[in-house]
Amino acid sequence: MARLDDIPEPTRTAVRDVPCPNFETTPFVAGPPLAQRRIAIVSSAALIHRGDAPFPFGSGETRAVPGDWDVRDILTSHVSINFDRAGFQRDVNVAYPVERLRELAKEGVIASVANTHFTVMGSSDPKDMVESADTIAAAFHADGVNGVLLAPV
Amino acid sequence: MAHMLEERGLPTTALALVLPQVERTRPPRAVMTPFMLGRPLGEPNNPAFQRRVLMQALNLLERTDGPVILEHFPDDNPSWSDRVGWQPAINLPVLSASTTAAQWQAAFAAELALVLPVWERFKARFGRTTVGLAGQTPETWPGFATSYLDGALPTVKLHDTPALALRFLADDIKALYGEAVQADGEPPSARQIDHWFWRQTVAGQLLIALRGMAMKSENNALKTVGGRFFVPTPYLPA
Repeated sequence: MARLDDIPEPTRTAVRDVPCPNFETTPFVAGPPLAQRRIAIVSSAALIHRGDAPFPFGSGETRAVPGDWDVRDILTSHVSINFDRAGFQRDVNVAYPVERLRELAKEGVIASVANTHFTVMGSSDPKDMVESADTIAAAFHADGVNGVLLAPV
Repeated sequence: MAHMLEERGLPTTALALVLPQVERTRPPRAVMTPFMLGRPLGEPNNPAFQRRVLMQALNLLERTDGPVILEHFPDDNPSWSDRVGWQPAINLPVLSASTTAAQWQAAFAAELALVLPVWERFKARFGRTTVGLAGQTPETWPGFATSYLDGALPTVKLHDTPALALRFLADDIKALYGEAVQADGEPPSARQIDHWFWRQTVAGQLLIALRGMAMKSENNALKTVGGRFFVPTPYLPA
């Protein structure tokens, strides 16, 4: 476990007891070998471009993270008092590994990287994210994405 | 989100940080990691380590033995442990008790003047900064932040309520100091950074004082953000 015991209260109890949806189905979509996958990221870090308004707390919205954003201008607006900040301060890839994906694509380990990624605010209620899931799925299908990496913070 | 995207025809694989959550939501493919909240790839500026984490997750995309596959990443990230013998490169004056808003402003401004050049070194070294949520430049921070202690409720262009303006300023203050203390040499652990900030800086003490102000405020939004976002629980005053 991600050191639940090391997370200070009240975040420890909050993350442990956060209401989780009960899914009646277990969808499991298969696909081609990794070398034929076009990979996109969904980050729960509420990523924004420098100068953009931060996500409102608890928002179920999603926002696009265009692949051509300079990673130096990507900020996280999902800032909990009990999240580690030091890693993301030094390296965006520790939460949003877009440069790692580009390297894998260059080497042929994966086929390619999506043109656009998406981000949500992690602490939000999944029930408020249905519309966001529709938005994300439509954009990924249009972009030919056939593999999604979920990177919650 | 994994369920919702799979229902919409997209194969997913997830990095997971909280085991009770992943056990209850049962995403189709997930790698449970031992890292701190906030860093799902584990180690900054370590492409080889990040790649190990990433590949374990991506390889699950080829698995067909679902509908629920949960693996565990075996290793802590290298900088998990405290750096033995680490001392902050920023030499700050010994904290003195500041009581009035004017005293806090002067003390914070003086400290910030020492920290800013070191922060510039961080930006030069790592080519980035996460400071930028507040919509203000650091020069305005001491006056803006301490004005709340005198009962003011200011706003800025980016944030139209005093609560949000102070919330995101608190985030920027923590970010600037956290970055500055990582500017030189091998960085300290995240715990060492927190300990330094909350125990040894005027900025940390000021945020604790601002939390105290917010908790007594009649502005409910300020009270909420003060309680939730300013000070980690281990560093709250007894």
